[in-house]
Amino acid sequence: MSFFIRLFIDFAYFLNSSVWYQRKRRFVYNILENDDYKYKKYFDIFMMILIFSSVSILIYEVRRDAHDYFQFFNNYIISFIFFIEYILRLWISSSISKVIINQNEYSDLLGRKFNFWFVIKRVFKDKLDYVFSVKAIIDLLAIMPFFHELRLLRIFILFRVFKLFRYAKSFQTFAAVLATKKFEFFTLSMFAAIVIFVSSVLVYVMEANNPSSPINTLYEAFYWSIVTISTVGYGDVVAVSPEGQFVAVVVILSGISVLAFTTSLFVSAFTEKLEDIKESKVIQDIAKMQRIYIICGYEEIAKEVSKKLIRANLNILVLDDSLERTEMAKKDGLMALQYNPGSVDSYKKLHIDMSKQVKAILCLRQDDIQNVYSSLTIRSIDKNIYILSLLMNRSNKNKLLHSGVNEILYDKEFVGLIAKEYIGQPVAFEAIHAIRSENSTVKMEEILVTERISRTITYVKDLDNINYRIVVLGIYKKSSGRFYFNPINDTLLEVGDHLLVIGNYMFIKEYVKYLSKKMKT
Amino acid sequence: MKKTNALIFGYNEYGLEIAKNISSEYNNVTIFKLDDSENTIDKNTSLKVEKFDLSDDWSSLINKYNLEDSIVFCSLEDVAKNIFLTISLRSAFENLFIIALTDNNESANKLRMAGASKVIPIVETTAHMITDMLKKPIITKVMHDILYEESDLKIEQVKILHADFFDGKYPADIEWSRDHGVLVISVTHEDGTSEFIYSSKTKHHLIKNGDIFIVVGYETDIKEFEKLVGVENEN
Repeated sequence: MSFFIRLFIDFAYFLNSSVWYQRKRRFVYNILENDDYKYKKYFDIFMMILIFSSVSILIYEVRRDAHDYFQFFNNYIISFIFFIEYILRLWISSSISKVIINQNEYSDLLGRKFNFWFVIKRVFKDKLDYVFSVKAIIDLLAIMPFFHELRLLRIFILFRVFKLFRYAKSFQTFAAVLATKKFEFFTLSMFAAIVIFVSSVLVYVMEANNPSSPINTLYEAFYWSIVTISTVGYGDVVAVSPEGQFVAVVVILSGISVLAFTTSLFVSAFTEKLEDIKESKVIQDIAKMQRIYIICGYEEIAKEVSKKLIRANLNILVLDDSLERTEMAKKDGLMALQYNPGSVDSYKKLHIDMSKQVKAILCLRQDDIQNVYSSLTIRSIDKNIYILSLLMNRSNKNKLLHSGVNEILYDKEFVGLIAKEYIGQPVAFEAIHAIRSENSTVKMEEILVTERISRTITYVKDLDNINYRIVVLGIYKKSSGRFYFNPINDTLLEVGDHLLVIGNYMFIKEYVKYLSKKMKT
Repeated sequence: MKKTNALIFGYNEYGLEIAKNISSEYNNVTIFKLDDSENTIDKNTSLKVEKFDLSDDWSSLINKYNLEDSIVFCSLEDVAKNIFLTISLRSAFENLFIIALTDNNESANKLRMAGASKVIPIVETTAHMITDMLKKPIITKVMHDILYEESDLKIEQVKILHADFFDGKYPADIEWSRDHGVLVISVTHEDGTSEFIYSSKTKHHLIKNGDIFIVVGYETDIKEFEKLVGVENEN
């Protein structure tokens, strides 16, 4: 193997393993192509602004002389930005280093000589595939106004408008939806083309020699045919002979059917794809969220839980394999997908990092078998994620625990406990219930002792809660995992501890601010 | 006044859980099974199970139990039947204390209209508990232990019978934890309205006989406090 080829391969390995290079490449890919990347939208908006300003300058120039700065901006700066973008897209369209490495490993495996020219051909083919794609051609044409000396090329500014397809997701969706009816549109176009061709020729033959007819050339016949079949009918060019008028009747009738067929194609394409569009929108929105609560199963209790979580401004996603229940969740204003919560595939399709983005998963089907199945599935994906499940039948408690659920709620037992407490201490029960209800202005809250708070407040005696009309019920010590009721004044406060307080929520807010701002004296 | 009989209508898991939890509080706990329409739960329970129907014939009930001294739980699974049972009991026994269970808020209102003294909406309560567990896990755990589990820490209601003990002080001016080892959370006035201890109204309310204090503390401290200001618990 020659020194040059060895160097060539080594360089490919170097690029492939270079963290710096791969990071830059990933960044460029994310900003240009990855819809889930949070900064992509800013790039897209920037490019759209460039396109609109470019077209605005073109329109302005038609009747007036634009200032040289505008022309410079339009011809050079925008074109240069588009050129850079074109080169970057060409760069990320395929990986040259990967092609070289694959070929080298393939050659090593088979004990063959590294075929340098095959690699070059392959790389060129990959890049040319991109260069001749529709989007790349539009990109290239949008750069053309750079050669503004060629006046004709200035019209290529309009190609910049087509670039909008790249940056506006809705355009891409529109094109993708219509693409599903490619065959039908092709059939319709063929039918229309044949009618236009036949009618143009017929009307030309019948009208061209008639001195009173405005149709004298094949081009005029073609123009008349297009205007008639589209049902526009300007009336500037009309057939005057009875034969020509008969052709017109046929073309008009064909035009009505073409129009009706086109409309129905659009409608059916969108109707069929509407659910898919909505689904991909939900997945996109979810991918951008943090602290998501996934609710598996949407029945009565799940419905109430969702209402309360929504009121607390938390991010919720409902997964349910029943169409009826999913629709109900959507009607209730929730993000819902008709996915089986017991299938690993359902979570893969969400494109989210479960350990980082999901706060908790709630298995709220009123069916223990389904909850066990869902929790086992979730546990198989992530060992640490918090799972809370309903228990409908006490005999299934161990099965749910075994499936990896962190917290179980058995509503029947809970009702029994409530009944016991209520009959024992009805006034106390009602008073506590009132404080814990959502509508109460008096709240029970947990205040986390942060680094900042612990710097200024060391002991319980420093809390100064009485001035804020707050009752400190106790402290939950992180170190021991225990709750200390009514702690003595010398109890040490440490980072990670929680103060459990009761008070008017406005005062609690003020109190938290006070704790965080208090300066050491 | 504490009742001696607990009559639970509904031979189902809810009824059995209620019976299990309250059996230590009553001399007699009886579960009533609605004919054969309710599924028989195969449980080895020592509880008394009797049959009943939804006719208006309560003579056997009157003969066996002193209804003035009874508390009734209506926990039939069929919402319509549960409402019918509640309205039947209320029309027959004006002063009976009825606690009714229901699934949703809509039927909770109907049960209240039917005459239930207290309604426990199961779905709403369970959902509330779940959201609390997610939003405030520590408070929920602590309150659950205090309210429902065997713990030295209790929430009790203490009726003030010796207001003179406080010598004309306002509730917010007393250092409860230093002086009595308990925390007073709220004060329930004679008219039944409840106010947080540091609310403006309570700050200007002189402690008087008949006020009920909702206190949190260790059992022994609460007992000591009761000895000082009142006597028995209000039930």
